Amino acid sequence: MEETPANLLQGTLDLLILKSLTLAELHGLGIARRIGQITRGTFDVKPGSLFPALHRMEEAGWLASSWGESENGRRANYYRLTPAGRRQLRTETEQWGRISLAIASALKTT
Amino acid sequence: MPLMPRPRLASLWRNLVDRKSRDEAIGEEVREYARLLADEKEKEGATAEEARRAAAIEVGGVEQVVEEVRDVRAGVFLATVAADVRYTLRALARAPGFAAAAILALALGIGATAAIFSVISAVLLRPLPYREPGRLAVILHRRTNPVAPANFLDWRRDAKSFDTMGAAENWIPNLSGGSRPESVQAVRMSADLFRMLGVSPLHGRVFLPGEEEAGRDHVAVLGYRLWQRSFAADPRIAGRVIRLDGEAYTVLGVMPPSFEFPPFWAIGTELWAPISFPPARASNREGQSLRIFGRLAAGVALSTARAEIAAITSRLEKQYPGSNREVTVESLQETVVGGVRPALLVLLGAVVCVLLIACANVAHMLLARATAREREVAIRSALGAGRRRMVRQLLTESVVLAILGGAAGIALAAGATKLLVSLAPGEIPQLQAVALDWRALAFTLGVSLLTGVLFGLAPAFEVSRRDLAGTLREGERGSTGGPRRTRLRSLFIASEVALALVLCVGAGLMIRSFAALESVDPGFVSQGVLSLVVSVTGTGQAPPPRRAAFFGEALERIRRLPGVASASAINHLPIAGDIWGWSFSIEGRPIPAPGESPDAAYRVVLPGYFATMGIPILRGRDIRESDTLDSPGVVVVNEALARKHWPGEDPIGKRITFDDQDKNPQWLTVVGVSKNTVRNAWGAAPQSETYLAYLQQRRYLERLSSNYTYLTLVLRANGDPSALAPSVRSAVWSVDPNATISQVLKMDDVAAMAVAGPRFYLMLLAVFASVALLLSAVGIYGVMSYSVSRRTHEIGLRMALGAEQGDVLRLVVRQGMLVALVGAGAGLVGALLLTRLMKTLLYGVQATDPITFGAVSLVLVVVALTANYVPARRASRIDPLIALRHD
Repeated sequence: MEETPANLLQGTLDLLILKSLTLAELHGLGIARRIGQITRGTFDVKPGSLFPALHRMEEAGWLASSWGESENGRRANYYRLTPAGRRQLRTETEQWGRISLAIASALKTT
Repeated sequence: MPLMPRPRLASLWRNLVDRKSRDEAIGEEVREYARLLADEKEKEGATAEEARRAAAIEVGGVEQVVEEVRDVRAGVFLATVAADVRYTLRALARAPGFAAAAILALALGIGATAAIFSVISAVLLRPLPYREPGRLAVILHRRTNPVAPANFLDWRRDAKSFDTMGAAENWIPNLSGGSRPESVQAVRMSADLFRMLGVSPLHGRVFLPGEEEAGRDHVAVLGYRLWQRSFAADPRIAGRVIRLDGEAYTVLGVMPPSFEFPPFWAIGTELWAPISFPPARASNREGQSLRIFGRLAAGVALSTARAEIAAITSRLEKQYPGSNREVTVESLQETVVGGVRPALLVLLGAVVCVLLIACANVAHMLLARATAREREVAIRSALGAGRRRMVRQLLTESVVLAILGGAAGIALAAGATKLLVSLAPGEIPQLQAVALDWRALAFTLGVSLLTGVLFGLAPAFEVSRRDLAGTLREGERGSTGGPRRTRLRSLFIASEVALALVLCVGAGLMIRSFAALESVDPGFVSQGVLSLVVSVTGTGQAPPPRRAAFFGEALERIRRLPGVASASAINHLPIAGDIWGWSFSIEGRPIPAPGESPDAAYRVVLPGYFATMGIPILRGRDIRESDTLDSPGVVVVNEALARKHWPGEDPIGKRITFDDQDKNPQWLTVVGVSKNTVRNAWGAAPQSETYLAYLQQRRYLERLSSNYTYLTLVLRANGDPSALAPSVRSAVWSVDPNATISQVLKMDDVAAMAVAGPRFYLMLLAVFASVALLLSAVGIYGVMSYSVSRRTHEIGLRMALGAEQGDVLRLVVRQGMLVALVGAGAGLVGALLLTRLMKTLLYGVQATDPITFGAVSLVLVVVALTANYVPARRASRIDPLIALRHD
């Protein structure tokens, strides 16, 4: 699988993390797996970029975390969206929509 | 709701303080990630070992990840703080008037309060620097007057309430044996007073109990500054012999620099010697020169000691009638600070007023700003800004403002404290201990911070309470922020006006009282007069008849100096000098009972004194050169004495004596009556004064005691008297270089000294009152211009409907003045209640002086009117067309 240049599109990673948490709270590996799943394997997020992003977003008030027990009985830190996080997701989704439309139309122009 | 949301606070704590456990938690999280990953790989079929290794490789170094997370977290936190601060500074820069006014108000409030409190805490609250100072007491006649030796010895023998009792006496000896001859401020005191104070010397030792016996009493302890100045800080000074008034004294030791005694009189004493009571002195009940200090025995209350001393005194009264005036026993602390306490408390009240006004100002400024920003806040939260973020932003603004104001306030307090100490009159004790009081600073800073934070956060609370749509709609119309907000602001304005009025009335009373003091006629013309104390104690000029010749020759040489109009001498100058009140009797009247004889200030002058000082001789003649021991004794009395003892009669030719009538007295014929002069308290009722001829007073011509071997020379200059000082010194030293010269003073300065206390308090109160007035004016102006700008729409509408400019002007001014007048009314009531407390500071004016109250009210109304009028005029010039379009 190709290495994803996560730092190239930091906003993208934030958006994917927010998106991955819309249905349920997940721990770090769960988020990475969920992103892989919803992007059909295009993005494979490594801990070196995942954890800084998670903590930055928690500090910004978009995520909240608490320790819980994983499916196979291990302790893990679970992340969930805060109301601010949901608003952020909406804003970023709209923005992404505008940007991708703009880029797509830019690329179509000859 | 807490000021800071709890999760945020917890996060701040974790990030800044509890970093270690934070890092551990992140490490744990990353390790758990690796374990979960390994579990996953094992499920896919890898062996446990392979799975663990693969997971470790994928995760990378745990420490590295932790490091990165930490950097990110700190970065985010700092970045948002930095963004908030940047945003705040930008917002403040956009409203420089608001920012400057708020910072200035805070700085003035904090600075003034901290400075005055620093003085109060050093002067009033700090215990005196002696062992168990609470047990130290002072015994005097009527609080201030000294005591006769026999009375002191009786009390010391009989009083059981005191562990130790000792006496001290003022002494200004001529010191030689140091680097140069000089006169020093000293006290003679009981040997065990040092032990009573519980202080130890820096070098050597203090007195031993037996050293107050005659013969062993020629020992001395030096003050630190004298030791530095005249003995080059010689560490082996103990045992060295110095000469005081020509007699040999052995130095025992040196006191530390901080040692100061006595603390309320003979200030600046630099040398201590034992006092001895030879039998003739021990039985003296007339010569009152001692201040008595005592340490209360353990567990004895001051009131017990007071009762005991009173009992002893009344017993003595029966034994020696007339010799015991009212005796007062007070704590040393009370004696030291009692005199300045009312003035300092009034000043404290004044600065608290300033602080309150400043806080009210900041509060309503922030409130007005908050109302103005309500729409901004509403829009931002409608756009999705979190409440926490908004609170944090607003909090940052208040804190930044308070920090800027606080920093300016600290600078101001530090400067003001130094200035206060340098300007304060000598009557305030313990001034050398005044330093910026950090507790006071912290308190005032805290109060202002709290004010800023509380009122700065108002919009954030409002937003959560009100519906956004309402706020947005109302904002569109341009309102003043709802009736509740308006009432709150009016309350602030009214209280500011009230407080400012109280302060201004206080300052006004001080101004009136100072004017009354200034207009007191001192009886002499101080302009152009220079005075200096010249002493020949212990020199070759002291023995008669050389002494009189010396002073005559010195004055003659001074008179010959260019620029000198006239010169003469007196024993004790009014105000600056000592006062010897001696009792006298009048020829042909019954000899009064002991203790009931009239007394008068005993002054001894050379010819030309009255002319030089500009004191008019109202009847008769001046003292002349021809009034010598060979001619009949003469005296000039002042009007007060003449009026008291010979009302309706001509005093010229009457005879009085200061001696015992039975023992060949020196009779003095009244030859002249002089105008009254002030004695020491400026503005006090004139008291009896007598002026005797120097050349007829044997004690002055012959006695060797240092009490009689100095004179105060006075000269009248044609120009600036201080320019003459160097040539006057050389003229004196050209007669004898060993003569000591001290206290070279312009009479103008001496006169100014007498009113230095009132002048100082007046100046401070006037400054505080001006600050209060300014802050209130700024406050009224700010609120009114704000209210006008918010009502532009409404005013435009009124004008569109036919209101004239005058109507609008009246409407706005009336609204503002109503609030100001309510405040002024409250202020007048407050002032009536509070100025009573400053009664002791006032001279020649009632605490309820209607002129002051009227004038101050007028000034305040004019200031309020002006502050209202300017924005109102702006409102009346609004173009209705533009106003209706106004947002």
